[in-house]
Amino acid sequence: MPLQPSRRSQRGLDWFVFFVATVLTGFGPFVAVYLTSQHWTQLDIGLVLSIGGVASLLGQMPSGALVDAARSERVVAGLAIVATGASALALGLWPVSPVVQVASVVQAFAGCILGPAIAAISLGLVGHEGIGERLGRNARFASLGTGAGAAAMGASGYLIEDRAVFFVAAAFLIPALLALRLIEEKEVDPERAHGGVEGEPCLQHRAAPMATVIRHRTLLIFAGCVLLFQLANAAMLPLLGSILTMRSSQWATALIAVCMIVPQLIVALVSPWIGRSAQRIGRRPLLLLGIAVVSLRGILFASLSNPFLLVAVQLLDGIAAAVFTVLTPFIIADITRGTGRFNLSLGFVGTATGIGASLSTTLAGYASDHFGSPAAFLALAAFAAAGVALVWRLMPETRPRKAD
Amino acid sequence: MRHITCTAVVVATLAFGTVAASATDYGEKLASWLQLAQATETPPEETAVPAPSEAIATVLDEQDVMSVLGLRVRSSAGEDMGRIINVVVDGTGHVRAAVIDFGGFLGVGNRKIAVDWNALHFEPAGSKDDRITLDLTRDQVKAAPEYKDGRPLIMLGTAESLQPSPSSE
Repeated sequence: MPLQPSRRSQRGLDWFVFFVATVLTGFGPFVAVYLTSQHWTQLDIGLVLSIGGVASLLGQMPSGALVDAARSERVVAGLAIVATGASALALGLWPVSPVVQVASVVQAFAGCILGPAIAAISLGLVGHEGIGERLGRNARFASLGTGAGAAAMGASGYLIEDRAVFFVAAAFLIPALLALRLIEEKEVDPERAHGGVEGEPCLQHRAAPMATVIRHRTLLIFAGCVLLFQLANAAMLPLLGSILTMRSSQWATALIAVCMIVPQLIVALVSPWIGRSAQRIGRRPLLLLGIAVVSLRGILFASLSNPFLLVAVQLLDGIAAAVFTVLTPFIIADITRGTGRFNLSLGFVGTATGIGASLSTTLAGYASDHFGSPAAFLALAAFAAAGVALVWRLMPETRPRKAD
Repeated sequence: MRHITCTAVVVATLAFGTVAASATDYGEKLASWLQLAQATETPPEETAVPAPSEAIATVLDEQDVMSVLGLRVRSSAGEDMGRIINVVVDGTGHVRAAVIDFGGFLGVGNRKIAVDWNALHFEPAGSKDDRITLDLTRDQVKAAPEYKDGRPLIMLGTAESLQPSPSSE
């Protein structure tokens, strides 16, 4: 029987997800632009970005384990978002080397915690039966938050100054905390949140051994799919942005902004449908669709040259992003049902995401330098095609046999 | 034969009396530091320089000099051309090009492009952010190949800026 959490808690989670996404938009590629304006050399900027990247890779699994061990997901999520807001403020106020390095590491770890913490609150609130619907809602609000964040920060950077972006990001902390307060603590069942099943309490010492969970065959195959998806997907937008800058001088900035914001709107539109469909028809067909779309996008990018057509193709990004944002926690919740290791497994797949994304930009950069950007896009499309093959051949349907 | 000259450029604010006093303190500290630097410096063995050349401290007013890293560049038409992120010198140490971080939105899609140093104009007056102008427009710069370390430098310039700098070669 599906659980009926209060509307207040559901709304609180909606807006918490939204404002977390806006705060996180302040980080990412914009940090490099900001540090350049603060007279940083490229070498120092590269160092800070690598430190942050390594920290967010290494932080994934410990963060997942931490969330699994926590007795209150709300407190963990609250602390993580406060740390993120504080890092944004520190970046804006003191753009000097030690502060920036510490802030980027703190932000990286906090970011590793926020993903699993939100997934855990969701699962704890609605349970396995309602999780598809809930994850669809999460993806909708996260993408609206990212879109709103990019718009607000682009405007403040353009109208005020670059550092204003970080103050705007830090200011979104306050509504995030207010939204978190709306979620009823007692409605978030810690056992459920960690992937336990009601009626069979799986207390911490009875959770399945870490090694068994990580060596689970389906989890490994799924981590491989996510790795290939990221390998194909992560470099596409930066590469496209660079081409738009090259092809169009007057419109480039606006077109890149459209490429970043409009797919978020598409995610907001389709993700609740994806959550419901995954519950009804299963996860596997949607997973195939999501990764096939990336392959198609790579081939189209390689063959088209009109900037406006390229932007139109970029809208497909929204579909792939929606599929993976909704299905990643969904499939992991299926696999880890009854183990109490839901968040650790999210961290494991998160590590695969990070490795895929960083390899993607490196490989695509190398390919476009040596063989041109069409070749780079085709290489990315080939990774996605390998992902399609992996899902087709090896990935089982993870939806439980009995109807949800 | 190589002459080793060590010139320290000190940009000091000498606007107010109190600041001037602290600037004198700073000058003393600098003088003692330079002496220390001379004492520890050993002359290269193969050159026949009898003694290390004397260090000279030159004071330039802050209105007359600027650090260019991170400053915004505009085209003559007033378009935003990005920020200077690097300066490229030739074998003799003469500045040949500036690398600008061109285009993009929130850090996505920007390209590093080298432009001829002679095509840049540094205006002493005006608001601090708009002091550097480039003789090229966005349309002329957009398709330039990206600047990469360890590759032949391809820099954009104008007909006038293309003369080699007088002291090189």
